[in-house]
Amino acid sequence: MSEPRFVPSLPDLIEPHEYASDPGGRRVRVRIRLTPEGVEVLGDAVRPAELEKLLETLGAQVIEQMLCG
Amino acid sequence: MEPQWSPAAFSRPHADGIECTLCPFQCVLHDNEIGRCRVRRRYGTQLESATFATSVRHVQPIERKPLYHFRPGARVLTLAAPGCTFACTYCQNYRISQFGRSAAATWNAEPVVPDEVVENASRERLCIAFSYSEPVLAAELTLALAPRAAAQGVPLLWKTNGFITRSALREVAPVLAAVNVDLKVVDEHSHRRLTAAPVAPVLDAIAEFKRAGVWLEISTPILSGVNDTDSALAELARAVRAFGADVPWHLLRTHPDYRMGALTPTHPDTLARARAIAHAEGIHYVYVERALGAEGRTTHCPSCGIAAVQRGIWSFESHTLNHGACTQCGTAIAGHW
Repeated sequence: MSEPRFVPSLPDLIEPHEYASDPGGRRVRVRIRLTPEGVEVLGDAVRPAELEKLLETLGAQVIEQMLCG
Repeated sequence: MEPQWSPAAFSRPHADGIECTLCPFQCVLHDNEIGRCRVRRRYGTQLESATFATSVRHVQPIERKPLYHFRPGARVLTLAAPGCTFACTYCQNYRISQFGRSAAATWNAEPVVPDEVVENASRERLCIAFSYSEPVLAAELTLALAPRAAAQGVPLLWKTNGFITRSALREVAPVLAAVNVDLKVVDEHSHRRLTAAPVAPVLDAIAEFKRAGVWLEISTPILSGVNDTDSALAELARAVRAFGADVPWHLLRTHPDYRMGALTPTHPDTLARARAIAHAEGIHYVYVERALGAEGRTTHCPSCGIAAVQRGIWSFESHTLNHGACTQCGTAIAGHW
């Protein structure tokens, strides 16, 4: 089970001009890169639960997420 | 981590126990009983609160709250303890707001020392906001911050559901500089279904905040199949307009989350339609953060239409105001600039 961690901001991978072309919100985009701390997977999705499942499957111990407001 | 309980204000004796007078549920609690909010309890002869604490200390632009007409470009220290009086089925913050209702929401807050928080905010020139969860439940902490915050010129802000008793609001409003109140729907049945709470106290609180001179903005999450028909949007727009044409209205895009996994994300066309309806109802300042591009974030002079304040995503870019007025026609643009 991954631990959620609230962070003030995260980069976007899905841009606002793409919203209209994905009315069902099925798009998921990930960026994987090697950092000094290890492999970092940044994800963006309209359905956060699906993205979290994906990140957990990849073995994420901590999933950083933003809050609304 | 477990909640640490502190004495709470906003209570009075009741024939059947102690009555919490903070939110309109006004729970009457027996010894060791916890209120509907899950973060206030009766312990012996007193009421206690768990929210003298915060799970986050995030520094962000004020546009994130969103507050667009209050000190644009200001930076805000956001505090939030778990807990909410509402049980919104679509809540994107359920891991913090739905403490006590969802197993996914665990207690992860650490105690707050008010003077330290204000000193830090003052040193860094930050406003202090309560957001993410329900600020009403942090009323005691807000009041504890207030004296030093006032002395050091640190504004206190709330992003709230507006579910507060009139008596509590009258105690807290004088220490708040600005609030953004969520108004989700105005139909009673829909509001109860969405939040498990009545809407009338929210409408009352919005009016009271305005009356008290707190800078007011309103946000509405546009939910597909809930409040996105022309008639529902017009009803909402009329309700917002009733608080004044100059009250900024933020239309929020929503996506499937928490218990509304089947929700369709708000389409940009729906937000454009909602904005047009709002303008038609006479609301001067209507905003959509992302989905309609930079135009959705721009403040236009309600008289001559010139772009008066321009923003990026969650950021302030520039304005052409002259002492809060339009440089082209001189019309005052409502806000704290």
